[in-house]
Amino acid sequence: MAGKKDKKDSKDKKDKRDVPRRTPAPAPETASFWRRNRRELTFLILFIVLLGAGFTLISVNWVNDHAVEPFTAGVARASGAVLRLLGQDVTMQGTVIRTPRFAVNIRNGCNGVEAMLIFLAAVLAFPASWRSRLAGLALGIIAIQIINVVRVAALFLTGVYFPKIFDASHTVIWQTIVILFGVLLWVFWANRFAAPPAPAEPAT
Amino acid sequence: MASGKAGWAPLFIRNALLWLLPVALLWAIATPFYNRFLLGSAATLVHLTESPDVTDLPRKDDHFAYVSRRDFPPSRSLVHSFRVTDVHFHLVMLAALFLAVPRVSWRRRLENLGWALLVTVFFDILLIFFYVKFAYATQLGAWSMAHYGAFARNFWGLGKHLLDLPFKFSLPFVLWAGFYLGDFMEEVRPARG
Repeated sequence: MAGKKDKKDSKDKKDKRDVPRRTPAPAPETASFWRRNRRELTFLILFIVLLGAGFTLISVNWVNDHAVEPFTAGVARASGAVLRLLGQDVTMQGTVIRTPRFAVNIRNGCNGVEAMLIFLAAVLAFPASWRSRLAGLALGIIAIQIINVVRVAALFLTGVYFPKIFDASHTVIWQTIVILFGVLLWVFWANRFAAPPAPAEPAT
Repeated sequence: MASGKAGWAPLFIRNALLWLLPVALLWAIATPFYNRFLLGSAATLVHLTESPDVTDLPRKDDHFAYVSRRDFPPSRSLVHSFRVTDVHFHLVMLAALFLAVPRVSWRRRLENLGWALLVTVFFDILLIFFYVKFAYATQLGAWSMAHYGAFARNFWGLGKHLLDLPFKFSLPFVLWAGFYLGDFMEEVRPARG
């Protein structure tokens, strides 16, 4: 066995001598790219995995029926309460807010869960202590829901008084505002609570 | 220098809010043209995956489009409709985030924005492709059941759901992080907790 190995090693050495020198293989380049961008790539991969998992979870019927729908009904109740404070004579039925002039049904996409999941994935993927993450999640989710209740109330009033711009306001304006709010909130949180950058590795 | 570093995030947040309105105006002006481009490109992509080519994506108006099949009776050929403008409003957030980054040269800012826009255009075309396949697989009753199996219906349904909600909403942030997270991490303060 040893003899065979020696023979093979000798053949390998001979082969290596005969083979002309090649350009470096791409593997070290890839490794170097990974080392240089490790923090960014780790964050992005974690973020996308957490986001995909979160949205897959809430698309399961059981989760939707037992968690998302009751949560959405809670958003509807909070929004209805705000509208009553603003003098609107609203009635609520499940996820529907209604007056004699206008009604909205709060569905997935309008309950703030998307912005919450994006914020949650970004906070969990970012390097920070668990204490900071939990504090960020608690305060961030409350802030996102406050903005979302404002959105629902504003959309309802838009539907009552400016029905022509309701569609654009519903999808384009308020979706952008709520998601951007979540991103800027994350920037604020990461700036305040993030871990210090890792020391640069020596060049190889 | 220290005070400058501390101000990065507030500067970024202020800039993003300031850029939002001009970018939204530009996007609103460009939307009808971009919708036409998207529908044409998505129709081409759909044709690559079907034989014979039977799908058309005619415009209803500046914002809405139909999914139409030429092999269906004329009275039933418009099988689905959707709001094309809803596909790409994330462009507003994308441009606002990329233009808001402080202490970066305009050249680098615009170059990165250009790459991000290119990726987003491909994403938008793919999303419309998924809209069409989702409509075929799940929205046409007995026809869908006859032509798509359980796995295909779930694949196109979940794919459209994931692309249309989480990935469409988070794409601007993901692209921004891809280009600027390194800069951002160099600026953030040390952890306190």
